[in-house]
Amino acid sequence: MTELANSAAPILAKPDAVRQRSPLYFAWRRFAANRGAFGAGIVLLIIVLMAIFAPFITSTGPNEQAFLTSALTFPSGAHWFGIDDLGRDFFARIVYGSRVSLGIGFSAAVFSLLVGLPLGALAGYLGGKFDWVVLRIIELFSVVPPLLAALLLATVTHGGVWAIILIASLFGWRDVCLLVRAQVKSFREKEFIMSAQALGASPWHIIWRHLIPNSVSPIIVGFVLAIPLAMMLEASLSFLGIGVQPPTPSWGQMINVGMNFMFYYWHMAVFPTAALALTILAASLLGDGLRDALDPTLKGR
Amino acid sequence: MTGFVVRRTLSMLVTFIVVSIVIFLMMHSIPGGPFDGYEMPLPDNVKARLMATLGLDKPLWEQYLRYMWGVVRFDFGVPFQSPGETVMGLIAHAWVPSLTLGGLGILLGAPIGILLGMAAALRRNSIIDYIASAIATLGLTVPVFIISTGLILVFAVWLHWTPASGWGEPRRWILPILAYAAVPMATYARYTRAAMLDALNKPFVTVLRAKGLTERKIIFQHVLRNAAIPLVTIFPAMFVGIATGSIFVEAMFRVPGLGAYFVSSIDKRDYPLEMALMLLISALYSISYLVADILYAILNPRIRVDGNSR
Repeated sequence: MTELANSAAPILAKPDAVRQRSPLYFAWRRFAANRGAFGAGIVLLIIVLMAIFAPFITSTGPNEQAFLTSALTFPSGAHWFGIDDLGRDFFARIVYGSRVSLGIGFSAAVFSLLVGLPLGALAGYLGGKFDWVVLRIIELFSVVPPLLAALLLATVTHGGVWAIILIASLFGWRDVCLLVRAQVKSFREKEFIMSAQALGASPWHIIWRHLIPNSVSPIIVGFVLAIPLAMMLEASLSFLGIGVQPPTPSWGQMINVGMNFMFYYWHMAVFPTAALALTILAASLLGDGLRDALDPTLKGR
Repeated sequence: MTGFVVRRTLSMLVTFIVVSIVIFLMMHSIPGGPFDGYEMPLPDNVKARLMATLGLDKPLWEQYLRYMWGVVRFDFGVPFQSPGETVMGLIAHAWVPSLTLGGLGILLGAPIGILLGMAAALRRNSIIDYIASAIATLGLTVPVFIISTGLILVFAVWLHWTPASGWGEPRRWILPILAYAAVPMATYARYTRAAMLDALNKPFVTVLRAKGLTERKIIFQHVLRNAAIPLVTIFPAMFVGIATGSIFVEAMFRVPGLGAYFVSSIDKRDYPLEMALMLLISALYSISYLVADILYAILNPRIRVDGNSR
């Protein structure tokens, strides 16, 4: 009997000796193993740095018509991406365009989170009538194709940066909401929530202290995946001329103008197209990679 | 089964009515009325009489009901950009190029996508798997107008193989069809791969292998049949994706279809046409989701129990 007690002590002590790894560590390991997503993350990081430090990268502003006499010049050593039809350095416009694209993508994702997170958490936790109402609202949004509704809203509001951010969040919140709702719903029945309820914790306390910390993965995933969607929406609306209004540089708008010059002045179409494609692709690959890494069960959703 | 269909149809109708109210109110919220132009100011009494003849003095709910009464009989009013015809007549002839392009695009894209997805699932983590994933990601994330710009640049501007835009002789259809095909191809590649992998990992495949069936028989007679369910059910949604994609493809390639009219209706603030197209596409959208749900219920009896879980 004493022998058993003696041998039990080291066995019980053993788990402390093994280093505890947090779930985030394993998520990071899975993410780093996904070469595509990792590369996309690096590309996106470069683009983000480019947007932040734009004034240090180009000496001319995006709207300065400094080279009017040499408008539509092809790319050269002095002007890497050439000069556009209005005598502006095209490289500067592309670099500053990243601010618009990323800024709108990021702000729309923040707004989507601000709306989707509380609604999703409440709907998942409270269930019943509240859940029903939230689900019906979401269903309403899934009847209208987002792009068409965005076109209509943009016509009504006459575009502009803030209008587009709002439109993008209007269609971005439901994904965040559904992801959070599903997670909260599956945690609601867990024992630790029941014990918190038994101790008399208020719903607000339970959601804030227990359910939201346990929903970090879907929250991050929802946030990151909302970014490329908003960027795509901005580009599409600007391309049709009802998004970001000139002279604010937006890649979608530049493609629209570039189309008219494409047959000879190819640089007008190639560079904004490439910049937009690269950024959206990188952002969605990163989002997919994060989703697979943080929550393998969501894969392929 | 009948109960399921009736329930889904009713819920679709209710949602559609709410959507039509929202669209109607949004159109009305645009500032400015039809006779507010300052080039030709009308005396107030003339304006009032005009508004009365057109029914614009009625309360909003009555105007909505009148509009919807027209919609039910396919009367959407007169488009501003060509007052000589009706919105319905315009849609009737703009429908043809859209459907031709969309149909050919799906016919080209879907089989290639399915083959790519199958190949990717059967040769997992091989070169072909990576190529299929790259194509799927590209087609699903990059907006159609970027793909179109790329196609025009390569095939029309640099290689001079095809005309860049226009409609008429089939030679001009090549590029728009390719642009249309990108989305169905990408969607089917991704879904087929996922569905095939899902089916391949089921225990029944192991049983079939243990029975000694040839791999060919297992895949074509058993795995494919199980993987086909999700593929059939995404088809209606694909059709709608084409409807939205057509806006950009047709604007890029100057095809006189519904999408092009939608863009010009936005451009020229042609509200009757814009509203009619919005309503039609939302209706198409909800109907195809309904069809997808019903198809799914027919093919997969397990979900018939609880109709509202989706």
